[in-house]
Amino acid sequence: MNARPTNKATHRQLRQHNQQLVLRAIYNGVANSRAALAQETGLAKPTVSELIGELIEAGLLVEEGHGRSTREGGKRPRLLKFVPQARHVIGLSVNDDHVMGGLSDLSGQVVAWHYVALDDAQGEAVIEVIRATINGLLAQLDAPLLCIGVGVPGVVDPQAGVVQYAPHIGWREVPLARLLQQHYRVPVYLANSTALMAMAEYVYGPADQVSSFAAVRVGASVGVGLVINGAIYHGGGEIGHLRLADYSPVEVAPDVIGRLVTFLGWPYVRQRAAVLRRAYPASLLPGDDAPLTYLHIHYATVNGDAAALALRDELSQSLAQVFAWIIGLLRPDHVSLAGPIADLGEPFLAQTIAYTRALLLPDLVERVTFSLSTSPNLVALGAIAQALHLELGLV
Amino acid sequence: MNGKYLGVITNNQHSVFQRNVIAGARQVAAAHGYDLIIDSYAEDEAHPRPITLDYRRMAGVLVIANAAPPDLLRAIYEAGVPLSLVSHAEPDLPVPAVFADNAQGIGQLVRHLVEVCGRRELVFIRGLRGQRDSDEREAAFAREVMRYNLRVPSAHLLAGDFSAEVAATALQSLIASGARFDGVVASDYLMGIAAVETLRAHGWRVPDEVAVVGFGDGPEAEVVGLTTVAADVVEQGRRATRQLLSQIEGLTICGITLLSVRLIVRASSIPRT
Repeated sequence: MNARPTNKATHRQLRQHNQQLVLRAIYNGVANSRAALAQETGLAKPTVSELIGELIEAGLLVEEGHGRSTREGGKRPRLLKFVPQARHVIGLSVNDDHVMGGLSDLSGQVVAWHYVALDDAQGEAVIEVIRATINGLLAQLDAPLLCIGVGVPGVVDPQAGVVQYAPHIGWREVPLARLLQQHYRVPVYLANSTALMAMAEYVYGPADQVSSFAAVRVGASVGVGLVINGAIYHGGGEIGHLRLADYSPVEVAPDVIGRLVTFLGWPYVRQRAAVLRRAYPASLLPGDDAPLTYLHIHYATVNGDAAALALRDELSQSLAQVFAWIIGLLRPDHVSLAGPIADLGEPFLAQTIAYTRALLLPDLVERVTFSLSTSPNLVALGAIAQALHLELGLV
Repeated sequence: MNGKYLGVITNNQHSVFQRNVIAGARQVAAAHGYDLIIDSYAEDEAHPRPITLDYRRMAGVLVIANAAPPDLLRAIYEAGVPLSLVSHAEPDLPVPAVFADNAQGIGQLVRHLVEVCGRRELVFIRGLRGQRDSDEREAAFAREVMRYNLRVPSAHLLAGDFSAEVAATALQSLIASGARFDGVVASDYLMGIAAVETLRAHGWRVPDEVAVVGFGDGPEAEVVGLTTVAADVVEQGRRATRQLLSQIEGLTICGITLLSVRLIVRASSIPRT
């Protein structure tokens, strides 16, 4: 009795798969006529024609101009063009203090951003903030919404669409994909924030010809996102809870002593900056009540400030531990440093690479390239890229 | 009235920013069968009149910059009339707004001056303190100063009040003081144009001696050849009106929509020779 629905589902999946093959070939510019597409995809010509008819109907393709006829003569083929504006996609990032969303077309071009403050929201209230962010972008839609991608910091099961554990928003086992899907009636794709950040850097970032890639994000905590052999790896994520030493650089609660987050997480870096500033009273670092950012620390270091230089040195030594483990374990082609700490700039990255080199066999580091990303919206961009990939097979 | 009206609260509807926002709002409103009712006080800045918009009869209200005081915004919100803000935010009210991405724009202008044009001694002409666009641009400039480790003495942070006259006067005083600088970042392009004209009137060569850039773009900037970041204000008016119409249709929105800007390099900024 189950046979029929299963067959139907299989048929639909096959059709979707074939549509993706055709669309991807046109999107990537490898074929733009029915005959060339049949050759490229290995599908029968009538099948290709039917799929193209459906894609034109859906607005994703248009016929535009004629190609050259084949050597045997005959009709000149109609050429096909992908229409990136035919659908819109929303990518969201649940950040430390706000939810950021981007509305993009199918080429990844962002039309508008929208953000809503979390105001320390927890649990159910966070879902309301996510909805308010999506609603802000729905108001700006210029095309039907295709799908939604969401990045959440914490332990995420992308297949099930469930956030298993996200401590900073008080979530355990939240079926976010289903909740949003019911409300907005489009497919919703979830992933860990840092994994999506790696995806964004891999798809849109500076490193070319790379197949294995690690993105390290340092902000309130520390996360590692991985692309392995060209595919996003969903097992990465937060590593701030790992124990780096048997002490911490600042006074912390007993249960977090020695954890990586106490060396690199922003709340602890602030605390450490205050201690160092008291040790060097002439420091350029802002006083206790003034705002402090990584840019302030950067500015003080380039002006030779002893407290800031000491802090930068400590941070690069701790980060080198993270780099060394990643490189030693995975030998990625490229490592990208992202998050607020990227504002410390190239000198910080160079110093971190030097310390990393001292921790590893020298040849290991020589093969790896490094870059900094100060883009603030990588996770939302990665959510867009991932949704485009899963829904249409693009990017 | 049958509720097919959108109210617009603004000051000075004929100045460039307000005029363009209203033009964008009018396009979207008309396409959806709405007329605009514009309440523009302070046409004569010395004698502003009170805001008299009968907001309860509006299907929704658009407020441009800080034209409406907080208690009026709250009254409109509490009356249940949908409300959207253009380049303004009221932290205590869950009312959405549409902004140009000020941080991105100032970042692009300073990066262009420093990395492409090789300028490091910058002057900043600020807008109107207390106005959100102005404050965000000033804060973004301070961040870029740190990022590039620039020396910008406080005397080089000029008051401009989003007025070409005020900007020109402030720059004249700076020139008269004998200050040395090689780049000017203006918080809007009209003040940037005033800066180009003032510098040239005092015998300074633009862009050879001083490169000048400004935030926002308009036909006047093209005429003068000013490097800008294009923040399409008509588009901002359109987007804000769509946000308002979506609320009228029942969508709950709060938070801020940010529109990206784009660097347009023209003759007022060239690499140092």
